[in-house]
Amino acid sequence: MADNDTKIVSFLCNWCSYGAADLAGVSRMEYPADIRVIRIPCTGRMSPKFILSAFREGADAVWVSG
Amino acid sequence: MEYPQAVPLKYGINPEVCLKLTKDKCGTCEEVCPANAIDYTQTQETITLDAGAIIFSPGFKPFDPSKFDNYQYVNYPNVITSMEFERILSASGPTMGHVTTFPKLPAKPKKKKDKLLAKKRKSPKRIAWFQCVGSRDMNKCDNPYCSSVCCMYAVKEAVIAKEHAGGDLDCSIFFMDMRTPGKEFEKYYQNAKDKHGINFIRSKVHSVTEDLDTHDLQIRYVDELGQIVTEVYDMIVLSVGLEITPETKELADKLGIEMTANGFCKTDSFEPVATSRDGIYVSGVFNNPKDIPESVLDASAAASAAGDALSEVRDTMTKQVATIPETNVVGERPNIGVFICDCGSNIKGVVDCAHVTEYAKSLPYVTFADENMYACSQDAQDKMVEQIKEKKLNRIVLAACTPKTHEPLFQETLKNAGLNKYLFEMTNIRNHNSWVHKNNPELATQKAKDLVRMAVAKAALAEPLKEEKIDVNASVMVVGGGLAGLTAAKSLATQGYDTHIIEKKDQLGGEALKLFKTAQGEDVGEKVAELIGAIEANEKITVHTDTTLEKVEGFVGNFKSLLKTGDKTCELEHGVAVLATGAKSSEPTEYGFGQDDRIITALGLDKRLKENDTQLDAINSAVFIQCVGSRETDRPYCSRVCCTHSVDNAILLKTRKPSMDVFILYRDIRTYGERELLYKEARELGVIFIRYEVDKKPVVVIEKDKIKISLNDHVLNQPVTLETDLLTLAAAIVPRKDEKLANFFKVPLNDEGFFIEKHAKLGPAEFATAGVFVAGAGHYPKPVNEAITQGRAAASRAATLLSKKDNLFTSGTIANVNVEKCSTCGVCISICPYSAPRFITEGRFEGKADINAVLCKGCGLCVASCRSGALHLRGFDTNQIFSQIFALGEVV
Amino acid sequence: MNFKKTGSVVVIGGGISGMLSALDLANSGFYVYLVEKGPSIGGVMSQLDKTFPTNDCAM
Repeated sequence: MADNDTKIVSFLCNWCSYGAADLAGVSRMEYPADIRVIRIPCTGRMSPKFILSAFREGADAVWVSG
Repeated sequence: MEYPQAVPLKYGINPEVCLKLTKDKCGTCEEVCPANAIDYTQTQETITLDAGAIIFSPGFKPFDPSKFDNYQYVNYPNVITSMEFERILSASGPTMGHVTTFPKLPAKPKKKKDKLLAKKRKSPKRIAWFQCVGSRDMNKCDNPYCSSVCCMYAVKEAVIAKEHAGGDLDCSIFFMDMRTPGKEFEKYYQNAKDKHGINFIRSKVHSVTEDLDTHDLQIRYVDELGQIVTEVYDMIVLSVGLEITPETKELADKLGIEMTANGFCKTDSFEPVATSRDGIYVSGVFNNPKDIPESVLDASAAASAAGDALSEVRDTMTKQVATIPETNVVGERPNIGVFICDCGSNIKGVVDCAHVTEYAKSLPYVTFADENMYACSQDAQDKMVEQIKEKKLNRIVLAACTPKTHEPLFQETLKNAGLNKYLFEMTNIRNHNSWVHKNNPELATQKAKDLVRMAVAKAALAEPLKEEKIDVNASVMVVGGGLAGLTAAKSLATQGYDTHIIEKKDQLGGEALKLFKTAQGEDVGEKVAELIGAIEANEKITVHTDTTLEKVEGFVGNFKSLLKTGDKTCELEHGVAVLATGAKSSEPTEYGFGQDDRIITALGLDKRLKENDTQLDAINSAVFIQCVGSRETDRPYCSRVCCTHSVDNAILLKTRKPSMDVFILYRDIRTYGERELLYKEARELGVIFIRYEVDKKPVVVIEKDKIKISLNDHVLNQPVTLETDLLTLAAAIVPRKDEKLANFFKVPLNDEGFFIEKHAKLGPAEFATAGVFVAGAGHYPKPVNEAITQGRAAASRAATLLSKKDNLFTSGTIANVNVEKCSTCGVCISICPYSAPRFITEGRFEGKADINAVLCKGCGLCVASCRSGALHLRGFDTNQIFSQIFALGEVV
Repeated sequence: MNFKKTGSVVVIGGGISGMLSALDLANSGFYVYLVEKGPSIGGVMSQLDKTFPTNDCAM
């Protein structure tokens, strides 16, 4: 990622939000290319450490959805 | 292609308009298709199939309102059908989910006239729904039946429209009877009224006219007080009914199956998915108008009926897939192969795939990278297998479409190459990238590189995972010996599984023993006796009457239940359980019930009809009161069966003695589907229907010679008093609310005490707990045919599990414990929704946590909450997720 | 019956009901032919936006 870009790390639940992101593609919606998706089996898998780590790696925002 | 979510997601050629096929011109598609998939020489072929049974599930067509001149569907651009409105609400529909007027115009109109109209597009302020368009109507169309689904979908559309448009949208539904008799439907209706502010107007609109300039719509109707009202709306949605197409009727004729006058399949209440022809079964709307969960139940029930008929030839036609021995890669240095899919132009059109492939080769542990035009095509898969073997790859990364649809396919490819299927990582550079950033190829290519780098980092840490075999005890325990339970037991025993029926009472049959006739006129007692006879004669079935359940242990495939009969207890081992504990009629607490012999419940009347009580002939006036204890604040659901039951009994009384005055006092008559014909028949026979409001209930006064009932007549708007000799109360159907049983199997109950199924639409005969199924009125009140359908459906769902007893495996992506690190805190045990973790009770690691692989669903909740880091989620382990985050942080 | 039974089933119609019948049968040891008139399966349900009473997405 180039430094001048916004960086958003998103953790998406495999069963809902990940599928919704798929559907956004199928529907040919457009959104900014700043998001990088990490697929997780369920938001239950989320640990605060992942969020902190993402910020430490330079993320501007972290989005957890499920 | 019909719509963007179609399966298969492939284009087809419409031979009627294709220039190449009709005039041998054009041919452009053949030239531009990179996969050479266009073949103009394909023609219709006739294929002959040999099959042991047929399931006929042709569905319906929404009613076409074009011929209704009063609603002007064809001429007015703002009069649309509910199906069109459904597409408007959909994010993938023509307006991307925005509710606007003139929805029938193309998004970018080309015609001059359309362009002018499109300028007038606005967000509507008022929308009206007209119910029963093409249903319950013999004047304008020949559909006397109720379509069963329109009331609920109209309420839903109004609620969602308000959600989309915000608070100031005014939604009105014009209806005759509000029919919301399904599970959780009544609450939805009440919420729509009270919380969402949807207006419900009981009236049939007789005409619509259009303002020539604004195209706003003026409607005229008569309100409940008899006044003519004129109102203006921006949009009108016609709630069109369900109709069987002429093609379906023709095909049904060819198959030689009998239909009703309305073109629905004729079935017996006790064999609700069997057509008149042996070996042909029916499911879905063709088997009477119904909504999704009932269609789903039909589907499974039809499968069970076909399975019963063909049980001895099970597994004779299915093919066994040869397994390839797995290469052991443990301890090897990761040797990652990266495959980049172009998806034709879907990905390559935006992302520079060649560049991403080159980039992939530079990543750590990657020894091979290749680009494929279509990675999922058969030739690409074969090539991939060869490449894996040749390059000795031991981890595979695929950058393509979504793992949600394609991961299993590529995991098969890995297996074919002798690799463990969990050594695979897929990243989505189509749905999450090329399709959504099509105007920004540079950033999309950059994103693809990031995603590939993250996937490679994760794949390097992937380990081969083992799927544990689940031993399945191929026997069944059915709790409850009513119709649903007996049906499930009979089907499973016919398919060869040892079945035990547990019944609390001393005889089988349940509540059905108290019923007289079904809505179709079949004698219930006779049919139940036949069914009990068949159960008792079946060697595979053991009946335990006077028996209760004391304890249940175990999980899918391996349950152990303790049965208690009298003072004797015995242990039963079984692989699955069907909970069919039913429901019962409540004891009314109003209308003088219990104070006088002339005031009885619906079942009380059935008893007298069954016994052919001659005193019934002496009665000159009979009154039925509906919704006694149902649709009230403390019992906010509709009991579903009572309207049909009372209408049916009213007809029986009226036919028995035509001079008898019969009244039904109701709130909404809910004779859904072809039950509507009974309502029509009752009115034709002279049964009088008087509607009352819940806040103005009828008042019953018991006098010596007569019972007097006073209420307000809705037509005359005047108080009336009826004198009667027999008052029948349609008492609410209440669940057993068996919390003990629910706890045994860890299945949930709703507020009223009915079982909550796995999924309201798609899992109506099973629980979220694997291996436990639900059938009958314990799920929700239902008539005979629906209880039997659900019994069969539960059997079918159970059979899919039982028949796989030798190859049922757990998932590989589940939690496991590092006992060395476990601090015995118990958080995982308290937090797991599936009761998978437990303490080891003996041996070296006593007191440490352990995960039951069968129960674990791999959600990772325990892993995230483990304070000592003792828990790991295979396939999504902490180090793997960190590796993705770190890979993202690397500046390229 | 004297003639031999065949362990396969034809399911006519690729709507929600037909698809689930086919799945149940295939998962319990029968070979299934799913026959659909149109170019794709899914039927009417896949064209709906959301479903009552849970407002779940119909896809």
